[in-house]
Amino acid sequence: MKGIDVEVDRELVEAAQAGDRWALEELVRRTHRSVYTCALRLVGNPDDAADVTQDVYLRVVRKLGGFRHEASFATWLNRVTTNVAMSALKRRSRRIAVEGGAVPTDTRDPAPDPAERAEMVALARRLEQLVAQLPETQRQVLVLRDIYGQSTDEVADAMGISTGAVKVRLFRARERLKAELEAIEGGQVVALDGRRRAASPGGGGGRRA
Amino acid sequence: MTGCHEVRPLLPARPEELTPEQALLRADHVLACTRCAAEAAGYGRLGAALAVLAGFEAEPPFGTLERILATLGRRRVAVADPKVAAVAAGSAGALLGAILVARALRQRRRSGGVGGKGSRRGRPLSVPLAAAVRAR
Repeated sequence: MKGIDVEVDRELVEAAQAGDRWALEELVRRTHRSVYTCALRLVGNPDDAADVTQDVYLRVVRKLGGFRHEASFATWLNRVTTNVAMSALKRRSRRIAVEGGAVPTDTRDPAPDPAERAEMVALARRLEQLVAQLPETQRQVLVLRDIYGQSTDEVADAMGISTGAVKVRLFRARERLKAELEAIEGGQVVALDGRRRAASPGGGGGRRA
Repeated sequence: MTGCHEVRPLLPARPEELTPEQALLRADHVLACTRCAAEAAGYGRLGAALAVLAGFEAEPPFGTLERILATLGRRRVAVADPKVAAVAAGSAGALLGAILVARALRQRRRSGGVGGKGSRRGRPLSVPLAAAVRAR
């Protein structure tokens, strides 16, 4: 399982487990954006995601003593985030529709070639918006399975549904995303070198109705 | 050849989500059907792009980090080892049990010693507590 994609030193976790206050704060500083992003993708709005992020660290503090490094810290943190987000969703209904301006940006280096990287970033941004517009139940399974790499069983467990239901929701989410992505890219041409370029200066942005 | 309608539900799945039979069915069909091959490629590309999103981060609302750190600071942050916590809880439980037993013994002794006032409910002192509860 990939989990939250952030590197955390084992020494830092062990220091935090031993009660080192600075180490704990450093853990929070290094991971809070990833936790927030995962929460945002699951709960769908920035305010709830910020609340979930705070609750995640309160739970981390309570449970960190029991963390035995059997999985990576990032994987463990991802599980905690998923559980807290799912609990939050059960408690409150989704109050606000997906808001703009909260689209994650790249902090890693997905491709060394600047042109390739720019294209990847653009594609990912479009995709992030499409994911955010999926119905909540479809979005959650897709985020956990296809973005954070959890197994079907883990997703079913986290959401309290059967693996069959996970597969059905995944199928629908993927089908819808692929269709919408292709509709957007219909306004683009594929260059001979395989890279997609906008057919017109403002092209490629029209969503299918 | 298997029909497209049979293979279509298998196209969005990742290889590990299919049984070996389903994977074989899909692979065979996709080799012979250009339309389904294009569909499968589209899903493959979607999967790759979604996996890239794991490395992307959103900026939390202003002040989120500070709020978290302040909350953690306000709370008495004791990262307890569960073994230590279990031993502590066990010790506390044992202490509480000892106090309760001592109190019960003292009560019995007191009531038995002062002219049998303990048999207020007509119960002999030697009846064990569980039996007394059952008797009620």
